[in-house]
Amino acid sequence: MIIQNKKIVLTILICFLTLLTYFYSNNEKINSKAYITNQGDNTVSVVDLINLEVIKTIKVGVAPLGITILNKKNLAFIGNVGTDDINIIDTNTDEIIRTIKLNTAPLSLTSSPDESKVYVTDWFKNNILIISVDEMKVMDSIEVGKTPSGITFNKKYGYLIITNRDSNTVEIYKKNKLIKRLNTGRHPFGVHTKGQYAYTANVYDDSITIINLADWTTKIIKVGAHPYNVLTHQNLGFVTNTVDDSLSIIDLKIGKEIKQINTGETPENLDIHRKLNLLIVTNWGSDSISVYSLKNLKLIKEIKTGAQSRSFGDFILQ
Amino acid sequence: MRKFILALTALAFSMSVFAHGPTPQKVQESVTVNVSIDKAWALVKDFGAINKWHPAVKDIKIEKRGEDTYRILTLESGDKLEEKFRSIDEGLKKIKWEITKGNVPFSDFNTYIIVSKGANANESIIQWTARFYRTYKLNPPIPEGQDDATAKAAVQGIVDNGIAGLKKTLESK
Repeated sequence: MIIQNKKIVLTILICFLTLLTYFYSNNEKINSKAYITNQGDNTVSVVDLINLEVIKTIKVGVAPLGITILNKKNLAFIGNVGTDDINIIDTNTDEIIRTIKLNTAPLSLTSSPDESKVYVTDWFKNNILIISVDEMKVMDSIEVGKTPSGITFNKKYGYLIITNRDSNTVEIYKKNKLIKRLNTGRHPFGVHTKGQYAYTANVYDDSITIINLADWTTKIIKVGAHPYNVLTHQNLGFVTNTVDDSLSIIDLKIGKEIKQINTGETPENLDIHRKLNLLIVTNWGSDSISVYSLKNLKLIKEIKTGAQSRSFGDFILQ
Repeated sequence: MRKFILALTALAFSMSVFAHGPTPQKVQESVTVNVSIDKAWALVKDFGAINKWHPAVKDIKIEKRGEDTYRILTLESGDKLEEKFRSIDEGLKKIKWEITKGNVPFSDFNTYIIVSKGANANESIIQWTARFYRTYKLNPPIPEGQDDATAKAAVQGIVDNGIAGLKKTLESK
């Protein structure tokens, strides 16, 4: 009798532990939140990407636009172009822990691979500001070409890459020194890089420029109307076409758009959650995000966020 | 007078929210009209019929240029405005166009109108959304009349008058 009871207790215990592990691995271990900057109502929506719902709305500075997430440090940096400052959010508590005053408009943000620095394009003064993450303050700046817009960091070569929207160029920096300036299509805005390539979305040309960082050759691919940003995943490229309310899907092997899929109204930016296989698009016009499965590119859900959802940069904690 | 107050409100609002920065501006307004969705959509989707419902449009001329369709509007003020048709989505009941030429205090103007079902069969909702920028794209100081507030007030006027005009035209038929 006692032996049987022990068995039952043990079985219950094992079941309990299994369940606990299951919940732990599904809900706790995987970082799975998207941070959406809503420029029209001065908030950031925190979206749980497992249950696909907004779990918190954080009041930030005025007109939040750019964002970058430090996954290892559990921080989100938000650039407010209305108040000229950066809010730093602790992604464990989703509270603002620090505000860095800049006195210039932070347009877009990215971090170094080791997450010790955050780089910010300073639209008004033609600089890249360098923020020390540990000290949470601006420690240096690099003078760059006019109207610095998108920014990204290439791990393979250690390049900091920016677009200059009004001079139709992309600039590549290494150790704070300009090493290359290349022409893109007209009005390059969003920029993305992976491996030996960088990609710019050229708003006025309805195209993207692909830059080979190994030999500096470039190639143009036509997409939909007024593309804003670009992202790649394996052999596919994704481009948000703001005026077409669509996403261009590009086969990177053949270098061509293969189809367009519908988004919400005026899609601007996009990011991928690799483990959950999700592609998220922010819709400025419909104040929402669209969540797609990366396996079949089907829409899973459109989620209402806040007014004028943008999230220019990497916005998924993973 | 109403237009003036609206402009003032838009001005005050824009100045506080978007003091500066290359920020796209948004105007979105909707109205419920007491006609069926089909009747409302038939008028809205007709790219050549804006003179029938927008009070600021006096005359219209449609021009085909290759694959593209344009309309040249003569406004009540005497100014001309050129607009390019972009697309119609019958499923979403959505029409899109952009302004390509004109003496206007805003730039990069892209817009769409969506017609959706109302509370009953004889009611529909018309929503007009516009995205645009101010005319001055460079850094401050921003010249007077080329700022976000001026751009927003102008577009707000166009959209408000258009929405009111659509309601009036549809319900008087």
